[in-house]
Amino acid sequence: MTPGAAGTLDLEKLFTARLLAARARPYLATALFALHTVESRLVPTMAVDRNWRCYVSPAFVDRTPVEELAGVWVHEVSHLLRDHHGRSDRVAVERGLTGPGDRLRMNIAADCEINDDVFGDGLARPEGAVEPGILGLPEGELMEDYLRQFRLGPYTQSLVWLDCGSGADGLEREWDLGPDGANGLSPQERDAVRFRVAEGITARPGNVPHGWRRWVEEAFHPPQPWRELLGAAVRSAASGPGAGEDYIYGRPSRRSAGLPGVVLPSLRRRPPRVSVVIDTSGSVSDAELGSALLEVAAIVRVLGGRRDLVSVLSCDVAARVVHPLCRAEGIPLVGGGGTDLRTGFATALRARPRPDVIVMLTDGQTPWPSARPPCRTVVGLFPRGRGPRTWDEDDPDYVPDAPPEWARVVVIG
Amino acid sequence: MPASVLPASSSASTATPSGPAHSSRLDVAADLLALLHDTATEPRIDTQLEALTLAVAADLPVLLWGEPGIGKTAALEQLAVALDLPLTTVIASVHEPSDFSGLPVVGDDPAVQGVPMAPPDWAVRLARAGRGLLFLDELSTAPPAVQAALLRLVLERRVGALRLPPGVRIVAAANPRSSAADGWELSAPLANRFVHLQWVHDHEVVVRGLGGTWPRASLPRLDPDRLSEAVTFARRAVCGLLAARPALVHRLPGNDVRRGGPWPSPRSWEMTLRLIAFATAANTSREVLSMLVRGTVGDGPGLELLAGLDRMDLPDPEALLADPAAADLPERGDLRQAVLDGVVEAVRKRPEKSRWDAAWALLVRALETGAPDLVAVPATTLAALRRAEWDVPASIEKLAGVVALGRQADKAAARVAAGGSSR
Repeated sequence: MTPGAAGTLDLEKLFTARLLAARARPYLATALFALHTVESRLVPTMAVDRNWRCYVSPAFVDRTPVEELAGVWVHEVSHLLRDHHGRSDRVAVERGLTGPGDRLRMNIAADCEINDDVFGDGLARPEGAVEPGILGLPEGELMEDYLRQFRLGPYTQSLVWLDCGSGADGLEREWDLGPDGANGLSPQERDAVRFRVAEGITARPGNVPHGWRRWVEEAFHPPQPWRELLGAAVRSAASGPGAGEDYIYGRPSRRSAGLPGVVLPSLRRRPPRVSVVIDTSGSVSDAELGSALLEVAAIVRVLGGRRDLVSVLSCDVAARVVHPLCRAEGIPLVGGGGTDLRTGFATALRARPRPDVIVMLTDGQTPWPSARPPCRTVVGLFPRGRGPRTWDEDDPDYVPDAPPEWARVVVIG
Repeated sequence: MPASVLPASSSASTATPSGPAHSSRLDVAADLLALLHDTATEPRIDTQLEALTLAVAADLPVLLWGEPGIGKTAALEQLAVALDLPLTTVIASVHEPSDFSGLPVVGDDPAVQGVPMAPPDWAVRLARAGRGLLFLDELSTAPPAVQAALLRLVLERRVGALRLPPGVRIVAAANPRSSAADGWELSAPLANRFVHLQWVHDHEVVVRGLGGTWPRASLPRLDPDRLSEAVTFARRAVCGLLAARPALVHRLPGNDVRRGGPWPSPRSWEMTLRLIAFATAANTSREVLSMLVRGTVGDGPGLELLAGLDRMDLPDPEALLADPAAADLPERGDLRQAVLDGVVEAVRKRPEKSRWDAAWALLVRALETGAPDLVAVPATTLAALRRAEWDVPASIEKLAGVVALGRQADKAAARVAAGGSSR
């Protein structure tokens, strides 16, 4: 607490800055106070490690004004809250990034993700903070996206001193105390701190920047990939009682011969019949439609093993996509007409034998059948922005209905 | 096992006319195999094995989710040795529903005797032994009818007419949907009966194990003296959370993927309660408890419960106010601030001069033992609680630095506000 003496850490200044940071961003207070500060002369500025220690250079604290230090506090804690070290490790494995400059690029990309909306509103932007604009990149993207968009070069020459520690890019530093060192947070404690911060943001959604709100949405409920959801929906629709492989007592089991006196059920495989109804009265792009249709075809093939049990109904607009795809996949095209989804439903249900599952690919700008159809229904919904987009000349107040409750809805894309 | 099949000794090989050369070759092969099997173990903290052991000790069915071939079965073998239980493995996907619900055997006069549902041999052997570890492998690739039959086995321990004795523990394993192309979704009722543990391999352990040294986990032991305390603690934790958050009691997830995983229901909360009691009695780490709780009621509710547990560990504000000199404040900044806030809140609820003074003494103590910025907010709030007739305690002098700190922060904030608009 004695300021001034050259080379010793000015704790008073450092903690004043933390107080300022906690006042400017009350929802981050828990995380800021959970950081354990460690004085280190090896660190160029301030750096964090994955165990929530914050290494501070005394010289940096001396030369930086309090208001900028507050910004650095928030910046460093953001690296940890957003799990930049874990994400960096995953990206490194996925893309095979092992070069010496790659971790620096990850640090820069992570900084871009944080800095575009963390400062302002009571928090000063520290001198030399990297922002996407400096690299000629758009704002509001994620670290993984930024990482694809720039290389180290003349633009980034001024950034090579930049070092937010192993907490930002996952690479161990010489000053790190390691997982066994004192005052680190265990993984469970880190999760608890992140959870409290997320709760705090949920409690006061008003003045929290968009980036933090997105973080809360994804921190503990990562978005499910639509492929997996669609697969699960089609699988469970096709495998429920009455469709697909199951046990019946309808005819004797093959085991019965060896077990006189025992009544055994037999396994019967009845692959599900699936009708895919495609509605393209909206503006579904060929790429979206193609990937979704291929996915459905793949799932159904795995379930039934017979291509002739899959049929596709389409509107004329989409025929150019659907026809070649279906030819390539060996799927018979049944029907064809119908700009109204209800007509498509009716056509699919008229087929004999009746389908076990109807999969509907649509952007939702359509009236839905009023009654539950006599088979399972999966709706693959292409999202189309917020609010009603379509405008009907005869009925300007027309708002398309949400998909009915009896359908399993998967948002695609 | 191979030893009983192959001619075991040289005396046997000389006895058979055709095969000295043949059997000796196999002997060499057996020697090589024996060398390969000859591995050592070393103690190592393994949280997932510890979590598995604790859940099995608590007699809750566990479901291990993991890619094929990462050592789920090996872990079960280790567990069986550690718990001293014979292991029975049943591959659920190759069985028929009647293998679990019982095979109807038609007798002489069904109208008089009824049709008994005969259990399969493994169940009879388990029941006769009275104890054992039942391992249901490949659960997610079992057809829905088999899953439905398994419901009764997992929940009621009934196989046909036979009831498995209480000494039998049940563990199941499943491959994630992404790696099991022909898998079915686990039905929501079945999923809700299990403690779900994600089984992942540790790169270091695998490399060291292939090199000849496998880990030996230290298994949790229950402390007989802490049993009633553990039950009280667990009840307080779960009831405290559910009283405040009624919506968490039952919440069926909206999509098929999450329905096949852990989700909160009265049944899974009861399992959570039991797990907390066992973890407390065994004094296991929070990491293990975190895996178990999140694997029982899901990530969101589980984290909320764990956050509540962290708060329960904090010292009671009333106890601190009663004896501020002996106060032991937590080391971690965020927890320390939560304690100080709690103390000030307690004074606000029942404002008395002595309590107010004690709170100041606590703040001074916090300042002397930790970061000053944590004290700033509680100090301002506490100062505002002062009544006109209360004298300012002498110890407040020591907090002058904190007031200065707050003032500097105010000044800096003003500078930011003045300069911020131009940016």
